[in-house]
Amino acid sequence: MMGALIATYLTATVEWVEAYTIVLAVALSIGWPRALGAAGSALLFLAVLTTIGSLILTMIHDLTILQFIIGVFLTLFGVRWLGKAIARGAGLKKLHDEDAEFAGLRARADIHEARAAWWIAFNGTLLEGLEVWLIVVALGVQTHHTLAASAAAAVALIVVCVAGILARKPLAKVPENTIKFTVGSGILSFGTFWILESLGYKWPLGDATLLVLFGFYVLGGLALIRLYSFKSAASGVA
Amino acid sequence: MQGFIKTLFGDKYTLGVAGICIFVAGALLHTPAAILAGAVLPVSLLSGAAYLARR
Repeated sequence: MMGALIATYLTATVEWVEAYTIVLAVALSIGWPRALGAAGSALLFLAVLTTIGSLILTMIHDLTILQFIIGVFLTLFGVRWLGKAIARGAGLKKLHDEDAEFAGLRARADIHEARAAWWIAFNGTLLEGLEVWLIVVALGVQTHHTLAASAAAAVALIVVCVAGILARKPLAKVPENTIKFTVGSGILSFGTFWILESLGYKWPLGDATLLVLFGFYVLGGLALIRLYSFKSAASGVA
Repeated sequence: MQGFIKTLFGDKYTLGVAGICIFVAGALLHTPAAILAGAVLPVSLLSGAAYLARR
């Protein structure tokens, strides 16, 4: 359970930092009350979505099917984050830069229009929050701790809000790629474990296999970062 | 809506990678080498992540 809560908290932190950048950029145009109103509406929508998602999943009485569905969603999420983090770690893709994101948003012409800016904040918070929603519902339902997972996401939101209030600028110092690499490995471990278990596979070490899988993805990911860094450096020299 | 679907399922490459890996591991479970599925799925998913990173 602790692993699921840590994964939820870290995922939420990364996503709320990105959402904060959007809300901050919008707030400078239409003011904090409207920008926070848009972000609050998106969060309310996500809370409703979490409730509905959890209800739908708990209506699936066959635990094997539920485990398989959740495993597939976590695998899709984990492999995507791990791939992205490897690419950024190796320099194949640019690191996500909150300052650049902020500058890009501020340069948009429509951000100075009240209605368009409201939608930018709403859509931005909603899309960033969807990944949090996915993790909260998937890990929460499977571990029977949806409330605790929601609380972990809420704590991350509070931490980011406080940091944002203190910094009053994009939170560019958050080690986003390291977090995405770690969370991607963790989520992929849960996905791998639950998919095979739901298909009838008996893991030799039981639940302890999760740690082995996590170690495998972290070490494998680090090896790939080294390999790709070396290759891109070699091609740069050539 | 497109953003919603992409967030839930990823792009076609992510879906392809996960689909192939799960299918291969699932098929392996119905063979005498079923025990290998526990190694094949993680290795194939890591290879999939490597492929996605290069794209």
